[in-house]
Amino acid sequence: MVQYIQVNDYETAEFDGEWVVLNTDKYTVTKLNEIGGFCWSMMKDAQTVDSLCQAIEQEFGRASDNLSEDIEAFLYELMEYGLIQHAV
Amino acid sequence: MKELQLQIGDHSARVSCTSLNLMNFFKRQFTVKENAAQVDLNITIHEGYGNPFTNYEVRVLKGIKTVNFQRADYLIEASLDYKSAIVYVHDELALKHALMNLYSSYIVYHNWGLLIHSSCAVETGKAHIFSGHSGAGKSTAASLSEPRELLSDEASIVKITSDNVTIFDSPFRSELNSEGNGQAAPLASIQLLHQSIQNKREQLKKTDALINLVDKVFYWAHSPEESKKVMGLLKTLVSNVPVYELYFKKDNTFWELIS
Repeated sequence: MVQYIQVNDYETAEFDGEWVVLNTDKYTVTKLNEIGGFCWSMMKDAQTVDSLCQAIEQEFGRASDNLSEDIEAFLYELMEYGLIQHAV
Repeated sequence: MKELQLQIGDHSARVSCTSLNLMNFFKRQFTVKENAAQVDLNITIHEGYGNPFTNYEVRVLKGIKTVNFQRADYLIEASLDYKSAIVYVHDELALKHALMNLYSSYIVYHNWGLLIHSSCAVETGKAHIFSGHSGAGKSTAASLSEPRELLSDEASIVKITSDNVTIFDSPFRSELNSEGNGQAAPLASIQLLHQSIQNKREQLKKTDALINLVDKVFYWAHSPEESKKVMGLLKTLVSNVPVYELYFKKDNTFWELIS
């Protein structure tokens, strides 16, 4: 199973259930919704798509029928922004 | 070498230079302080560097003991805490921009505050900032705010603590010169400007406020530690001060939405 982990413990700001992550290496900002912010904070430690889905369902209840597809797309985007990487 | 002590924010800067022209620039644009008890920044200035302004691109080189900022028309060699610097400039414009670069680096490093690309006017003792992308109307809003006192027309000096956000009279002006006697004022609001056919003001969510302000800060990213400080200061800023989108007509009626 592919595992994902934060590239760095980047600075974040959380307001009213929304998150902003500042990539201090590239000086870019990314806004995340509540579930996105939850996933981001989980990825301090290595996570798989399945472990994230389980954690989300535990925390928020059943979120979507296509949860694992949504998470995959989300992880792909975070990789693009240089916020997460494959865990070795 | 001639020396002057200048007031910038609540800091005192001692500048030394041989050029009478540049000394006159300081006397025109800055508040000169006689015998300041404490000196926060020591700046030595040399004229005759590089070429006239070509663009805003700044190269940053961090060494073991110094950090250098280089543009076609200026070079700053600063100590790592930015308390002392040697500045080489081509002309007055280069000097102004170099000092903005140095001062903004100094206040970020010391977690004091931010220099924000904006104008700022005072209404009944409270400061209101007008920012936005290039050409959005910062200086238009500033001139439409007269006779209110202006604390800045280009770069606002914003002191940020966990309890208070305060705006200081900015010597970094584009057109509307400071009288040099503007009193610091607490910041009540930030407006992101859009020219429009009617006035409208909408408050932004704090996350959107933060994202919109990131590129309004005069800051040349060169180290993760410093970028972290900018983020921390912006976080405190948007926690304490409401940020709005302001759609405004080119007259002074937008003030009805602010005060």
